[in-house]
Amino acid sequence: MSNDVSPGTESAATTAQADTTEACELHDHHEHEGHDHHHDHGHDHSDHGHGRARVRRPIDPIFLAILVVMVLLARGRIPFLANDTVRLWATLFVSISFQALPFLVLGVVISGLIAAYVSPDLVRRLVPKRTIFAVPSAGLAGLALPGCECGSVPIAGRLVATGTPPAAALTFLLAAPAINPVVMISTAVAFPNDRMMVVARFAASLTAAIAVGTWWARRQGENLLDSVSDLHEHHDSKLERFIDVASRDLVHAGGYLVVGALAAATLQLVVPRSILDTVASNEVLSVIVLALLAVLLSICSEADAFVAAGLPQFSLTSRLVFLVVGPVIDIKLVAMHAGVFGRAFAARFAPVTLIVAITAAVIAGQVLL
Amino acid sequence: MNRLGRASVLAMLGIVTGSLLINGGYGAFVQQRMFLPLVAAAVVLVAFSGYEVYHAIQAEKTDAEAQWWSFGPTVGWLMVLPLVVLFAVAPSALGAAAANRVDAFNPIEQTEAFPALDTSAGPVEMRVFDFLDRALWDPDESLRDVPVRLEGLVVNDPDVPDGFLLTKFMVSCCAADGLPLQVAVRGVDQILEDDTWVVADVIWREPEIPYSEAGAVVIVDAEAISVTAQPNARKDPYESPY
Repeated sequence: MSNDVSPGTESAATTAQADTTEACELHDHHEHEGHDHHHDHGHDHSDHGHGRARVRRPIDPIFLAILVVMVLLARGRIPFLANDTVRLWATLFVSISFQALPFLVLGVVISGLIAAYVSPDLVRRLVPKRTIFAVPSAGLAGLALPGCECGSVPIAGRLVATGTPPAAALTFLLAAPAINPVVMISTAVAFPNDRMMVVARFAASLTAAIAVGTWWARRQGENLLDSVSDLHEHHDSKLERFIDVASRDLVHAGGYLVVGALAAATLQLVVPRSILDTVASNEVLSVIVLALLAVLLSICSEADAFVAAGLPQFSLTSRLVFLVVGPVIDIKLVAMHAGVFGRAFAARFAPVTLIVAITAAVIAGQVLL
Repeated sequence: MNRLGRASVLAMLGIVTGSLLINGGYGAFVQQRMFLPLVAAAVVLVAFSGYEVYHAIQAEKTDAEAQWWSFGPTVGWLMVLPLVVLFAVAPSALGAAAANRVDAFNPIEQTEAFPALDTSAGPVEMRVFDFLDRALWDPDESLRDVPVRLEGLVVNDPDVPDGFLLTKFMVSCCAADGLPLQVAVRGVDQILEDDTWVVADVIWREPEIPYSEAGAVVIVDAEAISVTAQPNARKDPYESPY
């Protein structure tokens, strides 16, 4: 397994492609081992004659049926579950998971189509050779995906597995949920008297995405493929491959989405909103607080403009920070990034993205608002 | 996660989503415009799981080992957690408990003129959002002394001793981004529990606070209050900001 492939270069895509088959077989064990990129990759080869990792602890669907029966028996019999706060938490948790579902399904259908029908050769021809062109064009390609951030994570993972330079895929990952038409329209609706808000949000989000993409392209020796690569063989048809990859990406990204939804619903109830008013008067403090709030609340990028509009005590610049940070980095996304690209990646990517997004938003706010 | 395990997770998600769409329960969690995207998602999930179950059975005929292959990470099982919470807690739409946690939301000033109200057919039926918009931002005060019919849920508040805060949530995507829209209804001669859904005929008489001030509470006098269906029976408990 080569961890020394340099992403963002032309040769990376070719080398990476050759690696994929080997990496993929260990994908599932990788999950159990906590995404350590440098983990021993050779411990399982004897085990699978079919090139697929075996499930360590297979869970039969019968357990699922038992779970359902137990849940139905528990209903209405545990006083804790009737508590007002618990019920509100349940509403928030279920609604975050539920509203993300169509975007997640759209995302994995696209990622399955890419895996089954888009050859690495085609990707290499479509993506500009040089990073200096590839990264900005990947950012602008984000305009074409009307959705929120949950759908773009599996797509970006699949793009990397198909040979797209990781820097370009990450730029797309950051830009798509922030600058797509639905998000721009909802921002315009939420800020009817501050039309420049739309322009500032677009400019700051795209700039931040390109800046992070460029930063990643300049890093040498990073390999995302350990985590994102997947099965390539043993599909009888393209349809089978499409459905297998889409389903696999769905349970993968979906599992981490649920982790994020758990955290976001809990934090929404824990963060006391009353303290917000006291910090709103200080410009620097309000930028920091709204950036943190964007991370903690994990609101869908199609809805965050209305939440920002509901915080009139804060300055326009600090609310712009809220709108630029939220779609690119929040609790829910960190969980998904860690799942799809690995924990080591998430640990580096999250702070850099947060700082770049805040900086871009503050500058755009000073210049445009 | 083996192939049948994955297929059963997808099937459960698809079927529960489908049933929430059919019985209208989805409205407590997401905005109505999510209906078609959710239908599409449910169809895809059920179709995928059907295909997977068929192929899992076929594969096992030719290879007894097939059921032990991995078809997804263990974390995928977490996708049943929202379904477990949904069944175990049976969460309802946002109500008084959510409204009491945050400040009410008021529409932001609009520069467009308000169209004239048609008062010929009795009380004018309005969304709470539109009512607040007019009450706060119409320089001509077109709402003054006009009977209006509003629908929302009751939130009792010590600041409104002889009435309640008629509340509806503005939800643009899902309930997690819900913001309460509130009108203080006074002069109510009955005691109503929190979260009771009411249709209220009200009249806005005097702008007791300057209508240009954001964060103001709009106060109205009750003419007639009638209790309607309880929250869980309602299909669209929210208003959209669009």
